[in-house]
Amino acid sequence: MTPTLPSGDQASDQDNWDNGRLAHKRQLLTEIILRNRLTALVVDGDTTCRVLEQLLLHSYGVQTQGVDNGRDAIALIASGVKFNLIIIDMILSVLNGLEATRQIRDMGVHCKMLGVTACSGESERQAFLAAGVDVFIEKPLDPEHLVPILRELDGQ
Amino acid sequence: MERNPMRRQLAIMRQSLFDQGHVDEQFVQLEELQDDANPNFVEEVVTLYYRDSARIILNIEQALERKPFDFRKLDAYMHQFKGSSSSIGAKKVKAESTLFREYCKSGNGEGCMRSFHQLKKEYATLRKKLGAYFQLARQAGPVETASRPK
Repeated sequence: MTPTLPSGDQASDQDNWDNGRLAHKRQLLTEIILRNRLTALVVDGDTTCRVLEQLLLHSYGVQTQGVDNGRDAIALIASGVKFNLIIIDMILSVLNGLEATRQIRDMGVHCKMLGVTACSGESERQAFLAAGVDVFIEKPLDPEHLVPILRELDGQ
Repeated sequence: MERNPMRRQLAIMRQSLFDQGHVDEQFVQLEELQDDANPNFVEEVVTLYYRDSARIILNIEQALERKPFDFRKLDAYMHQFKGSSSSIGAKKVKAESTLFREYCKSGNGEGCMRSFHQLKKEYATLRKKLGAYFQLARQAGPVETASRPK
């Protein structure tokens, strides 16, 4: 159940009831227990985003690694580390997300790639999909988008 | 010390953050990641955000002092800023970030300046409100929360 701060105000009981029903509905959509050990790479130059995305994945039991630029992502993958999921931002330092995605795909990596970015325009979406991500998600990464993907990866 | 009146005040303060449009649903996601093992998680993440985003704000300020504007660079800075702002649920800050990027795309320097000025106001207001909220939360003590199965 979504944690809510207790309120002693009787006038908010209906609000609490409505919020509780919505929370329960969201809980059904966003809870998952993974049967398999999944791993994910988070490529994001922003520390806050990267930390939160890794923590969100971790809260579902996904083991994660994080890097802050495209070049390090390529190097990590080239070293032989395998991931079930790669989450990558579009604008990165050193090697941008579009080019990093192309290079990752050119290396023969076929795992699920999510382009998670602050860009929201259709042209950005098309560019990222054309570069090779499977799904384009406007930040922030949320359970409603992530959990169905984790279910798919887990074979549920 | 009476905890319930403080918890009530905390709940009112929290609700006003949403009602006044300062934070959105993503803030709730942060709260859901908070548990007994990390009781101050939300405050820590927000602190991290303000620490890191200060550098981006400075970069944008410096870029806006250079003429002609490098809209591509400005847009890139704001892209990052928008991303991290959205990750903590900073709704008004995110909205101003979006507007700034639209002005960048259309090469509207005046618009960028106006929007950035407003953005900094919202950014500072949110910091103040969240600071007060977290201070009260610490005084009120930890709340029993359900934690997501790990």
